[in-house]
Amino acid sequence: MKKHHNNPDSCTACTVCIANCPVTAATRKFRGPKMVGPTLERMRLSQDDIEPSLEYCSNCKNCDMSCPSGVPISTLNMLARAKYFKNRKRSLRDWILSHGEKMAKLSAATPGMANFGMKMSRGILKKIGISDKAPLPAYASKSFIKLFKNLKQTSYPDKVVFYPGCFINYNDPQVGMDFVAVMQANKLEVIVEEGFVCCGSPLVVNGFLDEAEENAKQNVQILKKWTDKGYPVITCCTSCGLMLKQEYQELFHIEGVAEYAKQLYDADEFLLDLHDQGRLNTNFGTLNEKYMYHAPCHLRAQGMGLPGVELLALIPGLDVQDADAGCCGISGNYGFKDDKYDISMEIGSGLFKAIKDSGRDTVVSECGTCRLQIGHGANVKTLHPLTLVRKSYEAYHK
Amino acid sequence: MQKTTVVVIGGGATGVGILRDLCMRGVDAILLEQQDLAYGTSSRYHGLLHSGGRYAVKDAEAGKECIEENTILRKIGRHCVEQTEGFFARTHLDDEAFEGKWVEACAKVGIPTIPISVEEALRLEPNLSPKIKSVYRVPDAAIDGFRMVWQNVASARKYGGRVLTYTTVIGIEQSNNQVVGIKVRNTLTGEVSDIACDFIVSAAGSWAGEIAALAGINVNVQPDRGTLIAFNHRITSRIVNRLRPASDGDIFVPHGSITILGTTSASVNKPDDTVPNAKEVVELLNIGEALFEDIRSYRMLRAFAGTRPLYSADPNATGRGASRGFVTLDHAHDGLKGFVSVVGGKFTTYRLMAEKVTDLVCGYLNVKTPCRTAVENLVEDTSPALMAKARLYFPAYGAELAASRLGSEGLEKVIARIQEKPEKRQLLCECENVTMAEVEEAAADSTSYMISDVRRKTRMGMGTCQGAFCTFRSVGAVDANGLSWGKDTNVLFKEFLQGRWKGIRPILWGNVMREMELTRGIYEGTLNINGAIDNEGI
Repeated sequence: MKKHHNNPDSCTACTVCIANCPVTAATRKFRGPKMVGPTLERMRLSQDDIEPSLEYCSNCKNCDMSCPSGVPISTLNMLARAKYFKNRKRSLRDWILSHGEKMAKLSAATPGMANFGMKMSRGILKKIGISDKAPLPAYASKSFIKLFKNLKQTSYPDKVVFYPGCFINYNDPQVGMDFVAVMQANKLEVIVEEGFVCCGSPLVVNGFLDEAEENAKQNVQILKKWTDKGYPVITCCTSCGLMLKQEYQELFHIEGVAEYAKQLYDADEFLLDLHDQGRLNTNFGTLNEKYMYHAPCHLRAQGMGLPGVELLALIPGLDVQDADAGCCGISGNYGFKDDKYDISMEIGSGLFKAIKDSGRDTVVSECGTCRLQIGHGANVKTLHPLTLVRKSYEAYHK
Repeated sequence: MQKTTVVVIGGGATGVGILRDLCMRGVDAILLEQQDLAYGTSSRYHGLLHSGGRYAVKDAEAGKECIEENTILRKIGRHCVEQTEGFFARTHLDDEAFEGKWVEACAKVGIPTIPISVEEALRLEPNLSPKIKSVYRVPDAAIDGFRMVWQNVASARKYGGRVLTYTTVIGIEQSNNQVVGIKVRNTLTGEVSDIACDFIVSAAGSWAGEIAALAGINVNVQPDRGTLIAFNHRITSRIVNRLRPASDGDIFVPHGSITILGTTSASVNKPDDTVPNAKEVVELLNIGEALFEDIRSYRMLRAFAGTRPLYSADPNATGRGASRGFVTLDHAHDGLKGFVSVVGGKFTTYRLMAEKVTDLVCGYLNVKTPCRTAVENLVEDTSPALMAKARLYFPAYGAELAASRLGSEGLEKVIARIQEKPEKRQLLCECENVTMAEVEEAAADSTSYMISDVRRKTRMGMGTCQGAFCTFRSVGAVDANGLSWGKDTNVLFKEFLQGRWKGIRPILWGNVMREMELTRGIYEGTLNINGAIDNEGI
């Protein structure tokens, strides 16, 4: 296993990361990725102190992407945050935002009540530091796991394992169902393993690193089990994908991640691969529709291009325009925080404007929280690309 | 003509130690330094405050002196000493038989050694090679040569001591076999002047032979060159010594944000033979690999070299064969009264050397005041109230460092600068966390004549980028402040960049090469420094 040096040695202080940091552009409260990341890392190794602006890093990873020296800058920040919280109490706000999975399980018995309660309690949430303006997601009436169990799939010899992640499972299960339909249309049977837990992304950003590592260990074990058998594992959430594939390697020392990561795919990427091999079902029905597309930062951080755009380009009649306007500002639960809400909206303002200027009323994007933020900031409808792929397959048969 | 009782030659550890001791005993004294303070060997070493373990087997007396002085300096010098403790680690390459001898020798001179398991050592220092065989904890500490010299000077100044830097000695005036004065030249202005004095103490280190020669006296100092490497981050939080007979490349010392690996040993002809080379660097890395197996993956910042002032009455003794003890030579025995040379020795025992020399001088001057350098702190602690205030004005990880560099008085001045102009809080040197205000304060000091002088006072330019960004910022600051020495900015640029380049050249590969290309892009490409110098015919 490659030893990951989370040390600051590769940084040449070139400041490219500062020029590409959406948070630095939006607020002077953040001293910028170079300073807070690799530069202060040298200081953190030698003395104890508190950098107040560390909390402003959103872990969007635009710094990592722009770094010509391959420094995992945002990961250095997340590790520093974990170190900071090692002996300090976390706020109730951070606990709630980091434990979406636990919260969802608590609410799962009565999601309707939970949603009603949440609407009623926005004033209370505001008091603990969650913005009353932020686009908090509602719980679905039935989780993806429940819907999936009741679904009758056609069995095929070729199988894929699906990692749904919390957002799809509890808030937006339709994306998961669309994914299964698209796989079935490609003569693939979907396996969903109930042992999967939250990837840890919302935990890491609030410094709950030990819990995230526990989750990582459990997920890694399952991921290895399936990939060792030769099954591909697929995610529809780009933040889950990034965490499982790359951030586990940077944050933890768990054996085998680099190996299984080769068989871990984003759904759009996987379908494009099928297309390259001539195995994709291309019976696409015409969709004479116009959409904007937003590339989530955590998709771009995976360095796989824009598979969603390429995939949708295969659908006849469909007009999808890449907004290419940077980060939406939400960064998981960053934009939900009362003290970060305005920054988050400022970061997204360029994207919101590009969307509004296009005159298109629906935006396609892989990331669930990006979709929430865009819906909120640009006042438009949002979709996952696979929803359109499914719609196109269905249009073919009409 | 200036007058004083004693002139001390040499602005290194020994010289400033003597200056402080003399002044504390009420003797009027001036210290002369040919370059900047701590320019010579006192900043060109690993910065290890020895527990004595390194010397215990071969030179029990040196080992005993070390542990005694180590104990004193950890107390009086806590603003320049970092109490890291140290390991002695025996690698798979080292002779097992030596270990027992070493433990015994340390016990004999009172150096505490605590054996710990390899497993525990690796838990404490995860970057250590898992192949090491045995580990002992010792009370080593890291000492910052620059700060230690400055703090001695600050203390001496409080007692009336004076310091002249960039002042080289060109003659020793004598009358009837008695020293009556000294002739000096300011190396920046070329101006020659005389200082009347009753006594001269040469603490010129590797240059002691040259000084004595001015009086026609032969002092056999053999400069012994040692090269070291500075790494970009703390690869260890403790000092790590190789448990074997003292040899090359067996000491790693963490210092603030960096780690230093040393040292080589080779006799040289000139005391200023301090340009390191790539061959020495590669040798050090090869040796260092036994203690830190990933050593080649750690980025180096620079290499640097100094010369140990080895003294022997026997002109044939060289290198580690020569004694590391110190000797006070009273040249009255050579027929010149009022002239003493102190030679040999090592940084850890600088205070003891100063005490012995000052005792001798005071004997001649009939001064009976006892030495108090072992009991009075170099600088007083910064009060909690002032520290709390400093934290309001300095950026994170900056207040403690600035306080230890500046002392209370300096800290107050820098805070006042920030209070007056809050924008001066911004970092001029981001790598080493140095504010614009502190750089301006250091630049305004009477001993600053070039950017490197500011660097030695602040650590500006000594971090990751090695001056890539702080050079143009500091030159700009000096220029904007209208300082008398800052009129020709091309000269300022050249002096600082060339100084950095000296240490970068022998390690020019990997990340260092990339960093240097960025630096070249900034100064040659964007700022056209060389073109500017040519065009103005300098």
